This record gives sequence, structure tokens and C-alpha cells, in this order.
Amino acid sequence: MHIPDNYLSPSTCLVMGAAMVPVLAVAAKKVKEEVSQERIPLLGIGAAFSFIMMMFNIPLPGGTTGHAVGGTLLAVLMGPYAACISVTVALLIQALLFGDGGILAFPANCFNMAFVMPFIGYFVYKFIKEKTGTEKGAIIGIAIGSYLGINLAALFAAIQFGLQPLLFTNEAGLPLYCPYPLSISIPAMMIPHLLLAGIVEAVFSVAVYAFIKRVSPGLIHQGEKKVKPVYALLTVLVCLSPLGILAAGTAWGEWGLEEIQDVLSGGKALGYVPEGMSKGFSFNAPLPDYAFSGLPDAAGYVLSAAAGVAILIILFKIIGSFMHEKAGSGIG
Amino acid sequence: MDDRLEKSVGIPEWIKKEENQVHEMGRDAFINKSILSLLSVISKIKAQDTRKQSKYEANVGVKVLFTFGLVIMISVSRSPLFIAAILVYLLLKLSFMEAKQIIRILKISLIMTVFTFIVLLPAAIWGNSYSLVMLPAKVFATITAVNILSKTSNWSNITKALKSVFMPDIFILVLDITIKYILLLGELALQLLYALKLRSVGVNRSKQTSLAGISGTVFMRSEEMAEEMYDAMKCRGFTGEYAAIERSRWTAADALYTIVNCSIIALFIYTAFNEML
Repeated sequence: MHIPDNYLSPSTCLVMGAAMVPVLAVAAKKVKEEVSQERIPLLGIGAAFSFIMMMFNIPLPGGTTGHAVGGTLLAVLMGPYAACISVTVALLIQALLFGDGGILAFPANCFNMAFVMPFIGYFVYKFIKEKTGTEKGAIIGIAIGSYLGINLAALFAAIQFGLQPLLFTNEAGLPLYCPYPLSISIPAMMIPHLLLAGIVEAVFSVAVYAFIKRVSPGLIHQGEKKVKPVYALLTVLVCLSPLGILAAGTAWGEWGLEEIQDVLSGGKALGYVPEGMSKGFSFNAPLPDYAFSGLPDAAGYVLSAAAGVAILIILFKIIGSFMHEKAGSGIG
Repeated sequence: MDDRLEKSVGIPEWIKKEENQVHEMGRDAFINKSILSLLSVISKIKAQDTRKQSKYEANVGVKVLFTFGLVIMISVSRSPLFIAAILVYLLLKLSFMEAKQIIRILKISLIMTVFTFIVLLPAAIWGNSYSLVMLPAKVFATITAVNILSKTSNWSNITKALKSVFMPDIFILVLDITIKYILLLGELALQLLYALKLRSVGVNRSKQTSLAGISGTVFMRSEEMAEEMYDAMKCRGFTGEYAAIERSRWTAADALYTIVNCSIIALFIYTAFNEML
């Protein structure tokens, strides 16, 4: 699932980067709160463990082998925040030193494998574990969580691929990056993950979890007693934010002049360029569309991404203050 | 004589029976594959650890900065001329390296290039000839550029150089720890895999479940190592602050490297404007 460079446009990578920065910042803060300085070596060694885990080949039916990513397993063992940082570091080392996965695509890879996978997997695991309250429930939770985690990560990668031909084409209308639309990229990514990789991930996670639970149960991350639904909601929102920004890229209100002609109005193509726009609206006139391809677009994306992130943080703070007040009034 | 020995040692009856064992091969391809991938990681780390930075090489910080710039320019550019020029430049750079390193670098970049080419073939049948040529060329250029960087510099220097792209010091410390412990945990996992391979003969269903045991053991050992390392760091006066020191002198090699890369940037701007017109 490591996306190499040049499959995604630089602006897509920027958007994913804008989404990852606050995630990592929150994760770093959370980890620091949990066990302070002691976590520093653990983060490095956890990253090394996550790296080594991807080296294990697991036998598959039919004589082939595959490897697990272990995002959900790490989240269950170390807590989702530490897992997020560990996987990020492991991915950085793979991209920078082993040439596996792109440098520019690094934020996108992080988003899929260091954020979506551990957090979704962990929330599903926690939810099922709490609802059932038994050890069997925990096992079922980790199986379903890791299966869903890797499949959602693959789905996000597929969407990132599939949006490229919609958003980034050259003068002749040919895609500049990944040329396959969503209708091809989603089945191409999802079928192998749903049928094979997801099962490998689930089986591996359950087996390792069961082993550690049996041998050294104290090592498994305890976490907060109850997962606040707010966190789950926020995770989903952060997941959706770059998608929304990407999808809005050329959808509404950001048309180029050529595109305006094709915009449908009342079922008919517009067929002309609104006069005001052809003169006064071309903010990028000195650098027409393809000059420094991507840059004007990217600026727009980054701005909207920053706005999205700011809105999320504001929401987060407001909800947080409500909870604080509630707790305070309970004491008072 | 024999009878006496048997009586004195008391060899049981069953051991004297002749048996024909049909040796069935169990499935252990996954163990071999795991061993191979671990070995390749370990050998890569060791290979870069022993190399010494030569006097005539550019500063790693400069290299990291320009390699990142190159990756961005390759991704943004739409000019076949620019990409072709970059490919030539990278091949020239490769040609100055040792054969062993060239093979290693080309192996990685060619596999990804061929993969990209095959993935793009169906799109080419629909008439998208642009991606079929440009994307594999770009993929090849990017992977080659990054691998030249990683093969020609000590990794600890690369992580240190990340400071110049505003990476916080504490992150650089974590990266360094990670590289060292990939080696340590990798060797531990390797020993466990060898033990599994040696001790299970023939068909053995539990061989596959042992893999979970190995991962679990590696995890538990990693937690112990983290604690030990923290204690060791505290003993040596670690206060939670870490400063990566970057010493750099401007050398002739740096100047040459900068000139070459500035001309690449100039070419990028020139081709970008040409495409525009």
C-alpha cells in the first residue's frame, strides 16, 4: 500500500500533509502526557518493531505469502497515538532510506497507514470490547478492527488515486498522474484487500495479541476506560476533510475559464464564458493554468485544507470546553 | 558385547525397530522469505554504517535539500525535455558509483518502473500515451535520486540533515533510535526464525502459529529494551532535551553540487515557461 512518488499530484500530497500535521501534533502531545520522557525511546523502538513486523511473510492459501502492516495491532498494544507516531517514523525511514514509498507521497502514506488504519482499527476494537466486556469480545474486536482498518486505509489510497484523473489533466485532457478513475481504482485496490490482505492482517493481529495476552498480559495498552464518542467522531471528520477538499478541487466555484463553458446550467451546457469572469476574474492571469502547473491550485487547496483543519481544532476545543465545564459543575 | 551394552544402558525396544520415514516437506517458504527480507534490511543498515564520508563529497545537508527539491521538480514538471535531462544527469551520477551499488539502486528503481509501466498499459490502450512514457520515467528518476542519496551518505548524517528542513530535534533522536533498533530487533527476529526453521522438521501445522509467537516475543523484548534504554539515558543525564548538532564547512564539493543543482533548477524554470508558451 506504499504509494510511490508521481502517482499522486504534489497538491494532493500537500493536502494530505496539512491533514497529518495536526494529527501528529495531537499524537505527540497525548503520548507525552501519558508517560512523559520514558516514551521517547519507546517511540523509536516501537517504530523499529513496526518496521520489523512488515518484514514477516505470512503463508497464504495457494502457496504465496503476504505481509501484514500491523497498524491496528500496534494501536491495541501501545495505544493509538503512540502507534500513529511509530508507524509514521517507520514509513519515513522506508521512504528516505530504503526507497520504499515516495518522499512527496509520504504524507499520503502516513494518512492511510499511520492515521486511518490504527485509529479506525482501535476504535472498532474498543467499541466491540466494551459492548461485549469479555476476552472473546476483545479478540473479535481486534479481528474486525484490523480487517476494517486495513481495508479503510486501502479505500483511502484508492480514492486518492481515483481523484487524480478528475483533478489533474494536461492541455489535451490526459491525466498527469494516476490515470485511473475511481471506478477502476477502488475495485483494483479493494478486491485484493478485502479478500486477502485484510484476512492476513486480522489473523496475524489476533495471533500476536493472543500470544502477548497469554504470556505477558500487563504489556497491553490499557487506554482510557471509555472511548469518548467525540474522539471517534473527530477521527471520522479528519478522515473526511482532505477528501472533501480534494473533491471540491474543481467542483464548485473553482472552474477555469475553459471549464466554465462546459458547466451545465439548467440541464444545458453554459457554452460561453461569463463576461465578467473573462476579464476581471482571472487571478492567475500572469501565470496561466499550466505555467507552474499545480502551484496556484496547490495554494487554493492548502488554504482550504488549513481552513478545514482550523475548523476542526475549533470544534475540538469547543467540545472540550463543554466537557470541562460539565466535569467542573459536577465537582462544584 | 552388544547384549551387555544394551542391558547396562537399557535401550528401549522401540528404538531398535527399523522405520522408514517418508520425509514430507512442510511449508516453510514463508520462513525463508521472512529471513531473506530481514537479512536484506540488516545488510543494508550495516553496509551504510561502515562507509566513510570522503573529503570530496558534498555535505549531506546540501544533498538532502537538493534531492527533495529534485523530487518536487520531477513531480511538477510536464516537460519531457526536463525529465530526459534529469534521467541523463542521474545516470551520469550513477556511472561514478561502484558496480555493486549501481546494481542495488537499479534493481529497486527498475522494478518499480516496470510495475508502473504494466499498470499503465491498459490506460495506454485507451489512448493515454502521455502517462505511459512520462510516469514510468518520473518514477524511475525519483526512486533513483532518493536511492543515490541513501546509498552515498551515512544514514545518521541524513537524519541529522533533516534539521535543515525544520525537523524537530527530538524527532531526529527517535529516527536514530529506530534505525539502531531495527538492526537489534531484526537480529533477534532472525535468530528466532532460524530456531523455528531448525527445530521443526517435516509437516508441522504449528509452524505458522509460531510466527505470532516470534512477533509477540520481539514486541515484548522491544518494550524491555525501551525501558533499559531510558534508564541508560537517564543515568547519563538525559533531561528530555536533545540537540542535534550540525557542523558544516563549505567545501569545493558543496559548491560544485550547488552549481549543478542550480542549473537543474534553471532548466526546470526554462522548460516550464516553454511548456506554457
